[in-house]
Amino acid sequence: MNRITSQLCGITLAWLAAMPAAAEDLPPLTHVLTPIAAPYPAPALKLADLDGKLHELVNFKGKLIVVNFWATWCPPCRREMPSLERLRQKLGDKGLEVIAVDVGEDVETVFAFTGQLDPAPTFPMLLDKNSAVAQHWKVRGLPTTFVVDTDGRVIYRAVGGREFDHEAVVKQLRPHLPAR
Amino acid sequence: MRRACTVWALVVGMGAAQADAPNSIDPASGAATWETHAHGVALRLTQILPDQARAFYISRGFSAADAELYATACVYMTVLRNDAAPGALNFRLADWQVRVRGAPHVLRPVDDWLALWQQRGVSESARIAFRWAQFPAEQEYELGEWNQGMLALGLPPGERFDLAARWQVDSKTYEAVLTDVRCAPR
Repeated sequence: MNRITSQLCGITLAWLAAMPAAAEDLPPLTHVLTPIAAPYPAPALKLADLDGKLHELVNFKGKLIVVNFWATWCPPCRREMPSLERLRQKLGDKGLEVIAVDVGEDVETVFAFTGQLDPAPTFPMLLDKNSAVAQHWKVRGLPTTFVVDTDGRVIYRAVGGREFDHEAVVKQLRPHLPAR
Repeated sequence: MRRACTVWALVVGMGAAQADAPNSIDPASGAATWETHAHGVALRLTQILPDQARAFYISRGFSAADAELYATACVYMTVLRNDAAPGALNFRLADWQVRVRGAPHVLRPVDDWLALWQQRGVSESARIAFRWAQFPAEQEYELGEWNQGMLALGLPPGERFDLAARWQVDSKTYEAVLTDVRCAPR
């Protein structure tokens, strides 16, 4: 099956398989990150992206990293994903990086979904097929997002959907960007 | 000060606003939503119709027979959200109370569902999808935090029930109550 056919098939399946929710009545995304009272070293993260290339969290040290655990069927995950790309566009040149970790799905499913996004994500999309990394990070529900500072410590958490490029979130992140 | 304390005690003691009729019905699917706000926390249950649940799980690798077991178990899209609680809230689904015609009904833990799927030979990838699609069995929400996930009541289609969702803030227990909620028809 060629890539376009695969993508169309995936889009159809993703639409059929998305968790049902009344579109006009969705809970609002929130605009605040939860500060971690006692920042702790980020757990290990080493996963392959959609092209099979391995990415490891330690290789991003020195950047402010937003680690987002998500899945294509999860309504708030789907809604917040474009805002992660807009955040990266806002702060990427100042040392912020976004890593999205899909929990429990395959390349075709994730590729089909991300192909519909506007703006399209330009950050690494990693696959946690057996959900071992999500469990290691003590994720209990999707989406859950962590912010890892330039020293590799978890400094913020966000359980549930966020509008990541909202000015209130950007204001929380700016002081933690690497010094230039 | 005394008056404020009295008002506070009344608010905590009374529990949540109650809802007899659905707050809304999705015109496209007919799925009904019940919602209440109590002590700064929003609770929302939206029916997942059996056809929706069948489609969701079959597309995740469940057989039609396995999907049927879950799809007809009175499933809700459940949202709990800390909008303005007096602090971080903690909850365990095991503390939530369901009553059917006044009699208590025990929620089936997610681990029991997972054990059932393993016993029935459901693939690991389908079980992983199931586990993450469920509303968390326990969770902590700081201000602004929330989850949205599936919760199966384990009741027959069309059944009616009351639900008391409970959580703790600083060791104090609060609850939000939804009354006369209906399972989606078959």
